Amino acid sequence: MTPKKMKRRGILAFVQNKPGTLNKISSMIRRKMYNVDTLTVCKAKAPGVSRMTITLREDDEAKVTQIIRQLEKFTEVIRAKELDRDQSYWREVAIVKFELEDKEYAKLKKKYQLEILDSQPHDIHIVQIAGPTERIDMFLDDVGVDHFIEIARTGVTAMDK
Amino acid sequence: MKGTELVLRALRDRGVQYIFGYTGGAIMPVFDEMEKQPGFKFVMPRHEQGATFMAQGLSRASLSTETPQVGVCMATSGPGAMNLVTGVADAHMDSIPIVAITGQVATGVIATDAFQESDVVGVMMPICKQTYMPLTAEEIEKTIHEAFYVATTGRCGPVVIDIPKDIQFAETGKNYAFDPKKFRPKLPGFYYHPTPQRDVVHKAVEMLNRSERPVMFCGHGVIASNAGALLQEFAEKSNIPVAFTLHGLSAMPLDHPLSLGMMGMHGTVEANRAVMNADLILSFGMRFDDRVTGKLNEYAANADVIHVEIDPSELDKNVATTVAINADVYRTLHVMLSDPELIHKPRRRWLKEIDDNRKETAGVEEEIARGVGDGGQLLMKTIVRRLSEITEGRDIIVPDVGQHQMMAARFYNYQTNNSWFASGGAGTMGCSLPMAIGAKLARPDERVWSISGDGGFQMNIQELGTIMEQGTDVKIMILNNGYLGMVRQWQTLFFDGRYAGTPMQSPDFGLIASAYGIPYQKVTELDQVDAAIKSAIEHDGAYILEFICDPSEVILPMIPAGGGFGDMIVSRPKA
Ligand SMILES: Cc1ncc(C[n+]2csc(CCOP(=O)(O)OP(=O)(O)O)c2C)c(N)n1
Ligand SMILES: [Mg+2]
Repeated sequence: MTPKKMKRRGILAFVQNKPGTLNKISSMIRRKMYNVDTLTVCKAKAPGVSRMTITLREDDEAKVTQIIRQLEKFTEVIRAKELDRDQSYWREVAIVKFELEDKEYAKLKKKYQLEILDSQPHDIHIVQIAGPTERIDMFLDDVGVDHFIEIARTGVTAMDK
Repeated sequence: MKGTELVLRALRDRGVQYIFGYTGGAIMPVFDEMEKQPGFKFVMPRHEQGATFMAQGLSRASLSTETPQVGVCMATSGPGAMNLVTGVADAHMDSIPIVAITGQVATGVIATDAFQESDVVGVMMPICKQTYMPLTAEEIEKTIHEAFYVATTGRCGPVVIDIPKDIQFAETGKNYAFDPKKFRPKLPGFYYHPTPQRDVVHKAVEMLNRSERPVMFCGHGVIASNAGALLQEFAEKSNIPVAFTLHGLSAMPLDHPLSLGMMGMHGTVEANRAVMNADLILSFGMRFDDRVTGKLNEYAANADVIHVEIDPSELDKNVATTVAINADVYRTLHVMLSDPELIHKPRRRWLKEIDDNRKETAGVEEEIARGVGDGGQLLMKTIVRRLSEITEGRDIIVPDVGQHQMMAARFYNYQTNNSWFASGGAGTMGCSLPMAIGAKLARPDERVWSISGDGGFQMNIQELGTIMEQGTDVKIMILNNGYLGMVRQWQTLFFDGRYAGTPMQSPDFGLIASAYGIPYQKVTELDQVDAAIKSAIEHDGAYILEFICDPSEVILPMIPAGGGFGDMIVSRPKA
């Protein structure tokens, strides 16, 4: 439904931490026929409030406004807004398990700030990398698709400048 | 106190008089409590869907009375609750406040596929305004009060409260206390801004003053905020013509000189042309639904749009606004009326153009006067017009869905505020009979007509049993054209006359009427129409009139689905 070319949008919502809230939000987004790119939830500073970061693809400003207004219509949503890409930090974390020879691995370690979780014999490594989505994508490109064993990514969380 | 006692106490504190309910295992405890605590008027529908529409009828009709009520319906878990789905979804589409209370299996067995278990919250969540499932006895009253608040505040809508059986039996702790007068729901995310900003309203007034070709839209929000009289005053003061949405009908007299009648797919020529040619639209409490706008990119191309709407998510949703006013319609009209700069502009050219367009619709008057189609069978238009004249446009009309509904929208001359209750957003066939029952309970001193097609009447025909049992005085018209007429009309116009799945055989409605002890007349001749309507009026109690109608009658004008206003079909294509 959502071709990759469309602009990536980040929506930040503060919601009441109640059963069913996530369901309600995700069904509304499904009904509007978006495929959520990433969705992350954590506790906010205020008690009983969660902070939700959603990314999806849409070029049309009016449609993004519609999503935000419909989010705000839910009684469980206290506040929702679009995150301006230039005015906010978007970050995610990935845990990557891969097989790579020592020489290549050393190069990667130099290029990226990796947290090494485990390095086993037979060139198998588990590392953690954090940063903007593009950086993680670039790291994965550098590792090379033939070398992955498993990847776990958190999805984007974000904060205004 | 026990959960079930709290359910009833909260309902009583909220002023509930009527409960439309159908029992079953998971809701039995609440019913049992009703038996112990008299005071509610209990109405048993013959199908849970009937309960939802009775509740809607009560809410809709009582809205403009001194004692507005919220319709409450109850059902058991699983199949009982699932039978509420259509009526709840319908109430959601039409922003009608109702409260549905369902029994649920005990918490210990939820999500184990227990007997008669359905995920009611999961099913209802996307089709109602809010869902609740209290999990302790202490939560029950708070939940019910909050539910009523949410249902009736801002843009209204249905709420569903699913109460597990063990919670109905549960006892509160000794220290439990609840004061409904002090209760304020804690809803930090509930958005409700009824008061308009004066400077924005003033900007709108300035635009109106400048406009040469303005048109005002009267939507459901005018009815819902009881602003009909204010709207009329404003129209007269500013000299701006008014077009109605389906749900805006009856907010002011339909034959008012500034009235254009209904707009949209089956709207009048004068209303739709006015929209097409306007330089300014002032829209009150409506949502620019596709049946109103037709093709969006051709819609009101030359007009600036001022949109007054209580639900901010409707602003700029379908039609981009020049000025958006997120506020209550009544309050906004009040501020507009008190703006000292508002002027009465003659706009002679514009009003003349509109009057010329009125003449185009007038052709239909000949058809109405003729009264019968080519085959000599009765025309629905004529029947509705006769009813309108005999009752002087003062009665309450509850149509079903189909051609007869559009006829009733177009040809009854509404004079009484809030006297038209239709299923608009969902267009649910079968709504009329139960909704008319609810309306009659809300306004017992007024006459209520349920007008159905042969198709829709049979969708909730079982509610004749409720009428029989309650002795409800509802006057029933079946406009029987032997077809699912509205679909047949589309087949005539857009499917080369292939009538797939629309011819329909009906039972002997006279025998059915007599089985329920309801007097009945069948009308086949034009000269019987008036007398039949009068005998229904004179009879004290329910009455069924069946009219045998011309299946080839069509309701025009019509803007084909997805078409623009320029595509309006005004007269019948020659066969
Ligand atoms: C529950 C439901 N099912 C199907 C439809 C689609 N539909 C809209 S109008 C209509 C025909 C209604 O026929 P009838 O009740 O005889 O009224 P008429 O149009 O003939 O006046 C149908 C099938 C609907 N609106 N609601
Ligand atoms: Mg029919």
